[in-house]
Amino acid sequence: MQASLRLLLIGLASACAALSALAGPVVIQVTDAAGKPLADAVALLEPAAGKAMVQPMPDAEISQAKRAFNPRVTLITVGTKVNFPNFDTVRHHVYSFSQAKTFELKLYAGVPTAPIAFDKPGIAVLGCNIHDRMAAWVVVADTPWSARSGADGLARIDAVPPGAYKLTVWHPGLPADSVPTPMTLAVATGELRYAAKLAVSAEP
Amino acid sequence: MGMRRIWQALTHRLASSLGARVVALFLGLLAVVQLASFSAISVGLNQHARGKLPEQLQVGERVLQSLLDQRAQTLIEAGRLLAADYGFREAVLSKDRETIASVLENHGARIGASEVGWLGTDFELRATAGGEQIAGDIAPVATRLAARAASGGSASGIALFRGRPHQVVLVPMKAPVLVGWVLMGFPLDGDLGRDMGQLSAIDLTLLTREHADAPWASTLATLPPGLARQLAAQNWTAQDPATTGMRAITLAGEEFGVHAKWLTPLNAGKGSADTGAAVLALTTLSIDAATRTPRDLQLGLLAITLAGFAAFALGSLYTARRVTTPLRQLAQAAERLGSGDFDTPMQGLARSDELGHLAQSFENMRINVADKQQQILRLAYWDALTGLPNRAQIHDAVATAITQARERRGSVAFVMLDLDRFKHVNDVLGYHFGDLLLQGVADRLKQEMVRGADMVARLSGDEFAVLLPDGDAALAMSVAQRIARAFEQPLTLAEHKVDMGAGIGMACWPLHAGDATTLMSRAEVAMYAAKQRGTGPLIYDAAFDGASAETLSLLSDLRRAVDQGELRLYLQPKVALENARVVGAEALVRWQHPQRGLVPPMQFIPFAEQTGFIRVLTMWVFETAAKMWLDLHADGLGLRLSINLSTRDLLDQDLPEKFDALLVKHRVPAEAFCLEITESAIMDDPQRALGTLDRLSAMGFRLSIDDFGTGYSSLAYLKRLPVDELKIDKSFVMSMETDLDDAKIVRSTIDLAHNLGLSVVAEGVENAKAWELLRELRCDHAQGYHMGKPMPGSEFRKWSTGWVERRRSVGNSEAVTLH
Repeated sequence: MQASLRLLLIGLASACAALSALAGPVVIQVTDAAGKPLADAVALLEPAAGKAMVQPMPDAEISQAKRAFNPRVTLITVGTKVNFPNFDTVRHHVYSFSQAKTFELKLYAGVPTAPIAFDKPGIAVLGCNIHDRMAAWVVVADTPWSARSGADGLARIDAVPPGAYKLTVWHPGLPADSVPTPMTLAVATGELRYAAKLAVSAEP
Repeated sequence: MGMRRIWQALTHRLASSLGARVVALFLGLLAVVQLASFSAISVGLNQHARGKLPEQLQVGERVLQSLLDQRAQTLIEAGRLLAADYGFREAVLSKDRETIASVLENHGARIGASEVGWLGTDFELRATAGGEQIAGDIAPVATRLAARAASGGSASGIALFRGRPHQVVLVPMKAPVLVGWVLMGFPLDGDLGRDMGQLSAIDLTLLTREHADAPWASTLATLPPGLARQLAAQNWTAQDPATTGMRAITLAGEEFGVHAKWLTPLNAGKGSADTGAAVLALTTLSIDAATRTPRDLQLGLLAITLAGFAAFALGSLYTARRVTTPLRQLAQAAERLGSGDFDTPMQGLARSDELGHLAQSFENMRINVADKQQQILRLAYWDALTGLPNRAQIHDAVATAITQARERRGSVAFVMLDLDRFKHVNDVLGYHFGDLLLQGVADRLKQEMVRGADMVARLSGDEFAVLLPDGDAALAMSVAQRIARAFEQPLTLAEHKVDMGAGIGMACWPLHAGDATTLMSRAEVAMYAAKQRGTGPLIYDAAFDGASAETLSLLSDLRRAVDQGELRLYLQPKVALENARVVGAEALVRWQHPQRGLVPPMQFIPFAEQTGFIRVLTMWVFETAAKMWLDLHADGLGLRLSINLSTRDLLDQDLPEKFDALLVKHRVPAEAFCLEITESAIMDDPQRALGTLDRLSAMGFRLSIDDFGTGYSSLAYLKRLPVDELKIDKSFVMSMETDLDDAKIVRSTIDLAHNLGLSVVAEGVENAKAWELLRELRCDHAQGYHMGKPMPGSEFRKWSTGWVERRRSVGNSEAVTLH
């Protein structure tokens, strides 16, 4: 089972490499309702038909320092494991009730013994049961083409093979149980710029 | 009973004391003032309390509102905590319906929520504790709260679940971002009432109705259930005046101020969907309790009143005492003055107020009265005219002398004298001369009395007395005779020589009397006896007293005599000397006493004159004589009846009218009467007497001067009187035969009377010799025993017949025409 999966993944990677020469980048300008650049937005591109193969990424890390998650938004692919090192002197109780990944790390200090593997696509909202203010989002992408916006609000997805895609732009400011409506996008060679305006406020 | 008497005595004492009345008045006034201020305060407090009530009730409403807000806040916080509970969140987000319902119910119960619902971020109800019923209740409430919650993070409101008011909160659930909403309903229960009670004294009642037509039901009340039910029974609308102010409602006899807060439940529906469901929060206060004067204020006022009473009582008592103490002193002083102590000076003269003035007035009075008393004492014991001791002093001296004589077994003699004719001296020569005469007599008496202890006194008018403190009857007699001799010398006064004379009587202690008063009266009796008999000085004899004792009961006897017909009218004939014809008769009164027999006129006529009873007698005589005249006239005897008038009759201005009335009554002419008046009767008050005589004369009465020759009146004076006749006194007539002088008097009197045009009547004709003499002297009429004594009317008729017969048989040579 494991051998066949590995074979599949290798095949997929080679296909990507073959296509990357042709693919142009898709740059999505994410702004809030007021038109200001929106950081920490995540753009996901999924093929309009079929499903692209994704591979787990190397282990990610969401640390807790000064009673906050860092980073607030983590973009990983399905199957990626995430470590939750605690740099604070207080203990934290990290949990998620999200369907993408329901878990809890009961009051711990330092680095938990095992990372958490996010094996379902979706968005997991992480909280700390001790500190209500702490919140982090883990976007588990079921596609290889995704990006997180920076401070300039730009999410750049490189090497997207031309074709029809469904674009989903998400931001933690959106309601928790809301389901963003995907946009159909035709990707050709060359850079594709797309502006996404979200009904959220960039202000903290 | 005993208590009551003591109380009465006390109240009487209080009422009679000025001080007590002052105190009572002040305290009464204070009581009125206090009562008035208490009433004013009560009314003021009442109005103030009433005015404050709506405000208080609105404060109550605000307290309620704030309680509801606090409660909502608390419930929200509780809801938030619940929503943040890890287990709760874990269960709710488990997606298992039954688990969710179970956790909602379980965790809701932890914080006392009766309804719990779980809503998505879109406010769609996802799950509820309990069944479909609760879901149906919650859904519309959640819709109404959603908007508020979305903007504020949480919301609260009032909802009506199954007829009972609930407070509903909607709180977000975060994990850690908003994942949904939790709605919780909490019944508004007794805790609210209890909190309300702890914060204010205002009662709270919650009324609810499920739709517009449903009756109001009390769902929470701090008032007794009965009152709450009555409140629910009232008519309440959203526009009720109680919602903006206060409404007064009487519940079970007590008046309450009610303020209403209209709370529209979240699930009442809006607009046309409005079911009219409502929650009414009523805040109430008892108006009666609020307007009742607070007890501590009452106690305070009572304390002030009592303190005021005490202060006023002390103050007014002090003031009253300041007034009454000097008054008491003055009263004591007045009592001292009353008892004759004029020597103690007044107290309190130093005061400058009214009481000081009063004391000064008392002091002046004391001095004046003391002076006056001295003067009165002088007047009381001394005779101002003669300077001699008066009756009072000699009375005291007699008493003292008797006391001393009793000790040494001695005796006391008392001499009393009364001047003769003093009244006439006074009348003729004037009062001033009378006074001089009295002074002269006093001087003479003082000269005669050489013994040091003897006392001469003027008793009254012309009465004098001499006290011989150690005298006996013999000494008294010698003194009396010395006085009599001294009086033989005429007194020369203001160029007049006056012959003195006095009746002198004596009495001795212990021979004639046992005490001073009796001794003096015995001497007086002896004196009157001496005067009456015209003798020299007389020593008292018990026989003298008989007559005087008789007079004592005389007046009542006389009255009875008139009433019971004991008086008789006697007639004494008057005969014409010329022809021996009977021309008239003198009417004389006699008294047929049932025990004493016939009382002589001398025993009651003078007495009647003294007492004025004579006027009654005169009228009786006049009327009886009138009747008798009619009888005689019927018998053919045409006589004129003479009637005696006394001084008092003459002074009676109504006498002519009284006579006239009797004349008319008996149909007798005035000419039938001759009225006889003595000289002295006229001389007492000549003016008035003359007036009466003129009127009587004018009426037709014949007037006659009686006892002529005994008085001082002159013929010249008589000439002015309207008289027709003179009656020569019998003393002259009787001595006429023996005394030549008297005969001359009679003759000249007759001549003079005739010259004046008067007829003359001679009284006391007792024998034929006198009759003859008088006839020679041309006297007109005669009256006397020679012709006939006074006799009753019946005898007079017989006598009259007999007289005519006798004269005829005598066959007098003179031409006597008899009929």
